[in-house]
Amino acid sequence: MSDRLYIGIDTGSSATKCVVVDAAGRRLAHATVPSGFDYAQAADAALSGALQALGAPRDRIERCVATGYGRERVSLATRRITEITCHARGAFEWYPQARTIVDIGGQDTKVIRLNAHGRTADYRMNAKCAAGTGTFLESIAVRLALPLSEIDSLAMRSTGRLVMNSYCTVFTSTEVLERIKEGQPKEDIAMGLFRAIASRVVEMMAARDGAVAATGGVVTHCRAMVKALAEVLKTQILLPPLPQHAGAFGAALLAITPEPHETAPPEGGVACSLEVLKPC
Amino acid sequence: MSAVAAKRVEIESTQRLRALMRDYFLDLDAAAHDPDRRVAWCTSVGPCEILVALGFATYFPENHGALLGVRRLSHELIPRAAGIGYCAESCSYMNSDIGCALGGHSPLRDIYGISGPPTPTLLAYSTNQCREVQDWFNFFGRRHDVPALGIRPPRYLSEVTPAHVALVRDQLATFIGQIESHFDLRLNPARLEEAVDRSSRASTLWRKVLDTARFRPSPLTFWDGAVHMAPVILMRGSHAAIDYYEALLAEMNRRAADSIAAVPGERWRVYWEGMPIWPRLRELSEKFFDLRAAVVASTYCNSWAFEPYAGGDPLEWMARTSIEIFINRDEEWKEHFLVDMFDRFGIDGVIFHNARTCPNNTNSRFGMPQRLRERLEMPVLVIDGDLSDLRFFSTAQTMTNLEAFIEQLEGGAR
Repeated sequence: MSDRLYIGIDTGSSATKCVVVDAAGRRLAHATVPSGFDYAQAADAALSGALQALGAPRDRIERCVATGYGRERVSLATRRITEITCHARGAFEWYPQARTIVDIGGQDTKVIRLNAHGRTADYRMNAKCAAGTGTFLESIAVRLALPLSEIDSLAMRSTGRLVMNSYCTVFTSTEVLERIKEGQPKEDIAMGLFRAIASRVVEMMAARDGAVAATGGVVTHCRAMVKALAEVLKTQILLPPLPQHAGAFGAALLAITPEPHETAPPEGGVACSLEVLKPC
Repeated sequence: MSAVAAKRVEIESTQRLRALMRDYFLDLDAAAHDPDRRVAWCTSVGPCEILVALGFATYFPENHGALLGVRRLSHELIPRAAGIGYCAESCSYMNSDIGCALGGHSPLRDIYGISGPPTPTLLAYSTNQCREVQDWFNFFGRRHDVPALGIRPPRYLSEVTPAHVALVRDQLATFIGQIESHFDLRLNPARLEEAVDRSSRASTLWRKVLDTARFRPSPLTFWDGAVHMAPVILMRGSHAAIDYYEALLAEMNRRAADSIAAVPGERWRVYWEGMPIWPRLRELSEKFFDLRAAVVASTYCNSWAFEPYAGGDPLEWMARTSIEIFINRDEEWKEHFLVDMFDRFGIDGVIFHNARTCPNNTNSRFGMPQRLRERLEMPVLVIDGDLSDLRFFSTAQTMTNLEAFIEQLEGGAR
C-alpha cells in the first residue's frame, strides 16, 4: 500500500491553504497561513503546517498541484491549475449533487456550473473590481472599526429586510453612514452588507440548476454570508466541512492523477509581430 | 521533431509591412505640409474611396487610437479629454486621440519622425460603426476649422433592402456634392470606379488571407491579423494594399502547405469576438501561445472583408458595403454570422471581449454568449477589458479566466 502523499496548495490573496490527501483521495491534513507579502514562503509554511499535523516527512510527497492567485510562486508544484477548476473539483468531491459552486474569496468571486460528472460547464468570475468579495467586507469593517466577526454576529441577529443599493465598496461605505444617520438597526445594516454580496453572486449566475455549494474564506468566517446566499438564491446552501480549503482539496485530488503528457513549452515566445508598431 | 517543439516561424511579410507603413505615414506628413495637396481624415469603414478619387491623402484616427493603446498612453490622455467634457467612459480611442491633441505626445513622432497626426482639411465619417466617430470628428472640425461631413446609414439591420442602399447612396451623393462645393473640385467617375475596384480587390485578398486560418495548423492568428490588417484600412483604394496582400496571401499559402503553425503544437482553435485589447495584445498572444491555443478567427479582422465589387455603380457598392458590415447588423444576423464562422474555422471555444468603452463593438451585453453556449454546447467566455483603457482590465483575473477556459476545453476538472 502506497504511503505517498498528494498536496494541494491554494495561494489566495488573503490566505494560503494546504491540503494533504492519500492516493485514495482521503483528506489527511490541512493548514492555513496568511499569504502576506511572500507567496512562496506562505506556500512553504502552509505545507509545513499540514505535514507537521500529519507527522509526515516531505519525502513522502508524490506530487503537488498549486492553485490560487499566487500559484506561479509555488516552486514545489508540478502543475498549476486555476482555482476555478480546483474549487469545482473539491466541492464536487464533498457534494456530488452540487451543480453550482459559489466561491467567495478575498479578491475574487466565482460562480461555477458543473455537469453531472463534476466538470466545469460554465463559470463567471468578477471583473477587475473587487466589489462583492471578501475585500468589500474587510474595507467596510475597517470603516466601522469593527472586526469582521462582530459584523457577522450582528448580521445573524438581524430581523429586518434592509437591502443596500450598491455592492461597490466605496458607495456602500457611504450608504452605511446614511443608514446609521437614518437610525437603522446596526444588525440590519450588517445583514444588508451580506445581501449586497449575495446580489452580486446572482448577477454572475447565468442559470441555476441543482444544488448550490458555497466555498471560500468568506463563508468560512461569516455564517451571515451563507444565510444571505440562501435567502437571495431561495435555496439551501451546501457548506463543505472546510469551505476555505475547497480549492486546495481539489488541487490535491487533481495531483493524484499525473499529467497525461508533460511536454516542453514551444520555443520562440513571441506569438505575434507587434514590432511593426515599434520604432524602426 | 514533434510539432510541439517546433520554433515559431515569423511572418516574413512583417518587414514589408513595416516599410509600407513608413511610406504611408511619410507621404501623409508630406501631404499635410504641401499646399497643393489635401489630407482628409476618415473613419475606418467610412467613404474612403470617394476621398481617394478626389485626390485626398487619407488618414484614419482610429489607427492612431489603437497606437496610443498599444503604447499604453491612454491613462494619461483620457483625463485630458475628460477635462474638457468628454466622458471618461466614452470611446477610449476618441478620448485618447483628443487627449493627445490637447498636449499629449503622439507615438507617430517617435516611430516615423513626423510631427504627429497630419493636419486635416476635411473630416469624413460614417456612423455605420457608432455615433462617437461623429463627435470625435466634430471636435477636430472645430479645432482645425475644417468641415466634418458624414453619412448616417440606417443601423442594426437584419436584412439590407434596396431602399436602405438607395438611402445611403443618396447620402454619398450629397456628401460628394458638399466636398465638390467646398473645395471647388469635381469627382471623376472613372477615378471613383478605379478606387472602388482597388478597394474591393484588397478586401478580397484580405479575406483570403484570413481564410488560410482554416488550415490545421493555422498559419496565422488573430494577433497577427490585428497587425497585418493595417493596409486594408489605411490604404484602401491604393495599389499598395493590393500588392501587399498578394504577397501576404502567397506567404500564408506557403506556410499552410508546409504546415508552419502560428502556434506550434496547436491544440485548440478559438474565436475572438470583439475589439483587441491593444495595450495587452502581446501578453495575450503569448498566453494563448503558451496554452497552445490558436485564436484562428475574429469578427474584428473580418470587418474589412467586404463583398467584392463586380462593376456597375460604385456608389451603390459603397452604400451596400457600408451598411452590410457586421457592426451595423442586428443580434440575430450577428449570431448567424458567428455560427457560420465557428463552423468554417473549426472553432472549439469562443471568447467575447466586453470592451467597456466600446458598446457598439461589443456583443456580450444582450445575452448572445449565453444563447450561443446553450445552442452550440460550446465553451464561451466573456472577459472584461477595453480596447485602450487599462482601468477596465485586470491582467491576473483575465489570465486566470483564460487558463480556466482552456482547462474547460480540456475537460474541466480531471
